[in-house]
Amino acid sequence: MKSTQVVIIGGGATGAGILWDLSLRGISAILLEQGDIANGATGRCHGLLHSGARYVAKDLETARDCLAENRIIKTIAPHCVEDIGGLMVQCPQDDPAFFEQWWRAAGDADIPSRRLNAEEALALEPNLAANILGAFTCPDAHVDVFRLVLANIEAAVGRGARFHTYSKVNSIQSADGRVRGVGYSNTLTGEKHEIACEVVINAAGGWAQEAAALAGVEVPVRCDKGTLLVLNHRPSSRVINRCRKSGDGDILVPAGPVCILGTSSMSVPGPDGLTASPEEINYLLQLGAELIPGVADARILRIFCGARALYVPAKVDSAGGREISRSYALFDHETLGGVGGFISIVGGKLTTYRLMAAAVCDCVAGKLGVQSECTTGKVPLRPVDDCKAHRRINELLPLPVAEKMERRLGPAVTRVIEAIDARPELAELVCECEMVTRAELEYVLGEASPIPAQTIADIGRRTRLGFGPCQGTFCGYRAMLAGFQTHRWTASQAAKEFSSYLHERWKGQALIQEGKQVEQLDLSHELYGADLSTCAYSGEPDGK
Amino acid sequence: MESNHYDVVVVGAGLSGLTAAGVAACQGLRVALVATGPGSFVLGSGYLKTQEILAAGPADELSEAIAFFCEMAQAAGCPFEGQFSSSRHLPTILGDFQSVTFAPRPLWNAEPRNDTSTAIVGIRELSYFDENFMAERLSDQARLLGSSCTYSARQISLARSCGAPTTTLRIAKRFDYDAGFRAELIEALRPAAAGFVRVLVPGMLGLCSREQQIAQFESELGCTVCELPTLPPSIPGLRLFHLLSRHLSKLGVELLQGFPVSKLQIQDGVCMELEVASPGHPMVLRGECAVLATGQHSSTLLGVDCNGHDEQMHPLTSSGSVMAGNLFVAGTALPGSSGSSGDVMEILTGHRAGSFAAATRGHYAAR
Ligand SMILES: Cc1cc2nc3c(=O)[nH]c(=O)nc-3n(C[C@H](O)[C@H](O)[C@H](O)COP(=O)(O)OP(=O)(O)OC[C@H]3O[C@@H](n4cnc5c(N)ncnc54)[C@H](O)[C@@H]3O)c2cc1C
Repeated sequence: MKSTQVVIIGGGATGAGILWDLSLRGISAILLEQGDIANGATGRCHGLLHSGARYVAKDLETARDCLAENRIIKTIAPHCVEDIGGLMVQCPQDDPAFFEQWWRAAGDADIPSRRLNAEEALALEPNLAANILGAFTCPDAHVDVFRLVLANIEAAVGRGARFHTYSKVNSIQSADGRVRGVGYSNTLTGEKHEIACEVVINAAGGWAQEAAALAGVEVPVRCDKGTLLVLNHRPSSRVINRCRKSGDGDILVPAGPVCILGTSSMSVPGPDGLTASPEEINYLLQLGAELIPGVADARILRIFCGARALYVPAKVDSAGGREISRSYALFDHETLGGVGGFISIVGGKLTTYRLMAAAVCDCVAGKLGVQSECTTGKVPLRPVDDCKAHRRINELLPLPVAEKMERRLGPAVTRVIEAIDARPELAELVCECEMVTRAELEYVLGEASPIPAQTIADIGRRTRLGFGPCQGTFCGYRAMLAGFQTHRWTASQAAKEFSSYLHERWKGQALIQEGKQVEQLDLSHELYGADLSTCAYSGEPDGK
Repeated sequence: MESNHYDVVVVGAGLSGLTAAGVAACQGLRVALVATGPGSFVLGSGYLKTQEILAAGPADELSEAIAFFCEMAQAAGCPFEGQFSSSRHLPTILGDFQSVTFAPRPLWNAEPRNDTSTAIVGIRELSYFDENFMAERLSDQARLLGSSCTYSARQISLARSCGAPTTTLRIAKRFDYDAGFRAELIEALRPAAAGFVRVLVPGMLGLCSREQQIAQFESELGCTVCELPTLPPSIPGLRLFHLLSRHLSKLGVELLQGFPVSKLQIQDGVCMELEVASPGHPMVLRGECAVLATGQHSSTLLGVDCNGHDEQMHPLTSSGSVMAGNLFVAGTALPGSSGSSGDVMEILTGHRAGSFAAATRGHYAAR
């Protein structure tokens, strides 16, 4: 049986942050994630690296945390952040008293901000509604969530930590009131495994209650659904917030070549099987158009939902989703009369993942008697690059391709460059929107990458393949063939994998009612058959 | 009559627009076909799927429309073949088989046939067609269908003539105009084809090659050659488009390609003019009637709110009244229609709208 000091349940930002923090403290840990990296709220969130601006008028403490973390993440993980800045836009429909309240609070929280009149704001962002009254600037940014999680894990794995995707924890063993290990199964193959450990950390986000139940304890969380729309282009170059008491549809985050509009807030029973209604989508679009009128005619690429796991202190249990604090809570179940060595971390935000991880790791270190201090705020997640690879990459690839690839891969770019040097045909683009070369695709599929992709969607999370307008219709097919050609999959496994990948991509587009993306989806259905007959014949023929 | 005046103006050159223009032209009407480019069928396989045939109904009208289409395709040099009562299996891009009722005649040669040894030939310089993937998949799937057809993978190189890498589009163009290239392709295929009854290649045998030309290619190679579906654009689909366009042009249809119709002038329930957004100065077309086969996925038709259509294919306004008596719609992406895209529906509605449009002859001439 494998053994380690700590097992972490959940490979979202929080779990990944904990793995990295523990590895810096010299505590051995294994992270188990039931899906791929960022399978939960992390992979379905807005990607706004909050500066605190959104919370400052209501919750000064959270705003301060966000601001501090915003600065830290920009320095430790610059390759994951698009430091584009943000605006808090004053709309004529909203309460002017709030604008002043916001301005004072921002001053109290030391959020660097400038006050712009309408003309100045429109000069910065000409696509904003012409009737806006003005705006405040703030240091909001976009963070690539997949890359951030990957960066934490890669750094941790580099220090000896272990990480398993598609590994669902389904039991927690304990004896004499202490946890002794966990049992988990591979969700792709069904194989079962066990790990002996001293501490188990529940960083399962929306699934925290289920995970806690495995240890026979409870955690007070509530799932709150948010819906986001991915639009085809960037109508603004900064994060656009609406300066009012937090509401629906009031944030637009430019993310790479696209932008994300949202979000709603709705209580749901759990994090699985979330969908959005057409009314909800229209409502979000309508609200978005109040900020940026062009949004009404934008091409929607896909629609997705995520579940925030909100921490519900007993006394505010009756309040609605947005009224519940977005700050986090740590439960050391040992001190709460539960099982020893079991810790839950719930709530919080992506932006504060590092802070949450630090709190958890302090607690773990105490339990294990390890003298240590958190250093994740100072140590960059990625070592400084090697310039030799830089020069060679520019000889082999067009500049935009080279730049994107370097940002994604960092030092690992050397390997990809070597591959292209040896086989120039690997420079061919597999995904034109995100400029993913065949060489990069083979790298993320291969054993040389720290967390090899298992599925086509995994490839997407590592390279952004399939995130553009075709939504995988063309590049997903090419990725499937690459998996077949590199002997990752047999032909029928490859076809099956591609079918399930496409079905997921189709789901995200099915709710779109009008415009170009509907034609795109029809094309995809037409090409592969809307019923994907592959599934109908399912499986291996006899004798195999 | 002014030079920009037509009996029927058809907007859109998908299967529905081409069919509608064909119907009107065959009745001796003066037809203009305006389109930004080919329709979406050039992205698909070029087959008429059984599933779509079954979903289309009503049977009489459908068989009339399909018969008309097959005749038109035959005259254009890309005959379609099939029978309503039977469906057969043709490969998809994922390497399984789908039920097909009508297909261009040469494409039927990709059917699984018992005890037929078949080579699937890939081209080294062509990525994203993988002969090994196709051979493994089709062999498995043929077995599931109870066929003893076997598929083997072979690869050839066109490095000498195409360089690396290349596309099916580039190969198809060379195939059309360069007899030397065709001869070279035959030489390259010959060793790969040795010992096989059939050779399946990715769709690439010319953008304008008629059936006879492909037959000649086969006879020079001494073996049946057939094309498999690829990622878009589909060469057999483009071929159908080009040949049908040429055919219509021979029938006297004026093809105005490359620019969108940007505006409809509707007055007192009559569509007076269509504006084409040609660069510089917009072109104005007058038609006694117009067929919109634009396949738009939106609730507005060229800027006019539209809410489905009536039985005569007249588009309806949002309040449910006929927009214009001389305006017709066709296609599967009609506002208000729930159907997903389908080539069969394109043909059926194109035929229907074309017939209704032709029947208005004379009604609106007095304007
Ligand atoms: C719509 C929406 C928008 C948001 N926007 C922002 C934003 O712009 N900025 C911001 O800072 N925050 C945002 N958030 C909040 C943010 O997404 C979350 O706070 C954060 O991602 C939580 O990360 P996590 O790691 O704690 O949880 P998760 O990301 O949910 O991770 C939990 C993981 O645990 C895994 N897991 C669960 N059970 C098991 C098991 N038994 N075995 C193995 N693995 C298991 C799950 O698969 C999952 O991957 C948003 C949230 C939503 C829903």
